[in-house]
Amino acid sequence: MVTGISKVFRGGLAMVAATLIALGATFGSTGAAEAQQGVQREYIGESYIPTIWVDPDGCEHWVMDDGWEGYMTPHVTRQGIPVCRRGNACAVMNSDQLFPTNSYQISANGRAMLQQFFQSARATSYIIAGHTDSRASDDYNMRLSVNRANAVAAVAQASGARIADVRGYGERMPRASNGSAMGMAQNRRVEIICIR
Amino acid sequence: MTLLKGAALIAIAAGLAGCVDNKDDKTVDRGIDSKHLSELKAGVWIDPTGCDHWIIDDGAEGYLSQRLDKYGKPVCSGAAPPNTAIGPYKSGSVIGDPI
Repeated sequence: MVTGISKVFRGGLAMVAATLIALGATFGSTGAAEAQQGVQREYIGESYIPTIWVDPDGCEHWVMDDGWEGYMTPHVTRQGIPVCRRGNACAVMNSDQLFPTNSYQISANGRAMLQQFFQSARATSYIIAGHTDSRASDDYNMRLSVNRANAVAAVAQASGARIADVRGYGERMPRASNGSAMGMAQNRRVEIICIR
Repeated sequence: MTLLKGAALIAIAAGLAGCVDNKDDKTVDRGIDSKHLSELKAGVWIDPTGCDHWIIDDGAEGYLSQRLDKYGKPVCSGAAPPNTAIGPYKSGSVIGDPI
């Protein structure tokens, strides 16, 4: 019985597909053949070309209005990274100014600097992201960076700031080459994203 | 009678929204609140998890899109409790909601 239904259903689907293909053939403009990467591919579709809306953070979204409905979705790369016209990191703290090597204990100077920052930034909330250079193992760097980010977040909370998220990216998101001492110093950092 | 009224309302709404025929250019809004879609005004809607989305009530059309940080992760600002919309999301169009 179940297989019977399924066969009828499949038959129906095949008929619909055949009709659609026939329609596509009749109205050449909607059912076009496209040469992509050397492969001919048949499709039945309608042209939906979006424009770009830029959100208050400066990041792009695809947007369309087809007359009745509106559609919107973030513009991201194939890696899932948003395409933005300006960065939303409002501070990048040099880890060397906050912590001794291999430590996540904030120095007195570093603490004072952070307190001053969080008292003046006045954002709705903050995302704290720790980063390291590529020395030592990936595993060690992941732990060190999240510990350092947590230490910064603790100072932020003590200063009355709201923390949206705390993360450690270890050595996986370098902003400079790890091939030089200067590049490595730039990679040792704690990023503070201000959410307005 | 009710049916007629309904039909008239839909016809008026269609006229207002400027959407009677097939609309080829999807990058603009037509009718009374006509504009390029880059001019939309957004607020923030906080989802049940507590994370932010850009929300736009643009007359006949509504838009919702995720707020992401530079790493592609959701932004959960805590600006308001979950299931709340804040900000000027209704300010971009003169056409109000009938209901």
